[in-house]
Amino acid sequence: MDWKTQLKLQAFLDGELPETQARKVSNSLAQDREAAALLAELRQTREALAGFDKGIQLPETREFFWSKIQREIQRAEARTPAPVGIPFFARLRRLLMPATAVALLAIVGMVATRQTGSTLRSGGAEAETSLEDTGAFTYRDYSAGTTLVWLSYPAEHELADEDEGGTLD
Amino acid sequence: MTEKDHSSTDDATLVRAAQQGDMAAFEELVARHRDKIYARAFSMMRNEEEAVDLSQEAWVKGWQRLRQFQGDSSFGTWMTRIVINLCLDQLRKQKRQRTESIEAMSEESGGVERQMPIVTPNPTAGLERAELRRRIDRALTQLSYEHRTALVLHEFEEMEYKEIARTMGCSIGTVMSRLFYARRKLAALLADLKQQHLT
Repeated sequence: MDWKTQLKLQAFLDGELPETQARKVSNSLAQDREAAALLAELRQTREALAGFDKGIQLPETREFFWSKIQREIQRAEARTPAPVGIPFFARLRRLLMPATAVALLAIVGMVATRQTGSTLRSGGAEAETSLEDTGAFTYRDYSAGTTLVWLSYPAEHELADEDEGGTLD
Repeated sequence: MTEKDHSSTDDATLVRAAQQGDMAAFEELVARHRDKIYARAFSMMRNEEEAVDLSQEAWVKGWQRLRQFQGDSSFGTWMTRIVINLCLDQLRKQKRQRTESIEAMSEESGGVERQMPIVTPNPTAGLERAELRRRIDRALTQLSYEHRTALVLHEFEEMEYKEIARTMGCSIGTVMSRLFYARRKLAALLADLKQQHLT
């Protein structure tokens, strides 16, 4: 008997064959004694296993088993930090800082454009803002020899620290 | 305050209460299904201590994922899937840690199950239930975890081939082959055990 036929017999036993194929296998069993014997063996094994795991019981009392589960649940919950809400003012500051930086940049840009003629002759002026740190903004006027640095407060990392520790107490 | 008695409450109501954080409701669910969950872990692991630990882990996971339970299957079935996956993970880990067994090598080298003589007459005929249980227990222990798992999922969980394939992460052809091998090997082992018993 080839491998394919053996597996087909098993699929027949397990009800996994389409109806037409199942009928074919069923008809062939009358002529094929070897196939009939194999099917009988597979069926016996299946019957021997029926209900085998029904009587298996957990070897621990209800109370003891539950106490372990409960302790483990509590331990896992203690390990997982509760979701921390960001304070309203911190959230507002976080939103306003980049907006303030952009607005300042626009104002300085407009002023610089109006003074283009004079600034070009006397060395010019420039404004800088770092994309990584939107809280820092620098304005340099070379003609006047002045540098103005704008720092928003609190800084980003301070805000993050504040957020993390905000609801712990 | 007295604790609410949940013993007469149905599973679906207990699950809803537990989803709202009612630990007493969850405890009742554990008490109802703990033997089944342990039995599944034991049938796969063949080791009492590991089966207790894994069934405990399954209950902790069950609590943590309870909100994901939509009621598409029964709660018992849902929990059984969790413990089966934990056992499979553990068995795979164990397999990676040890060298390939001779049995696994012989399976891959060319289907020993195809050449096994057919076992007749029925080796389990006339055996008392307790004796049969003992023999099956020993025979199951001698199967590789892949063969045993295929058998357990099919015979005890009544899963179809495609569901077993999905659970074990293999093809339907592999499931059929593993199941066939497991059954034939089990029949041979039971016959051999009977012969040993008679001599």
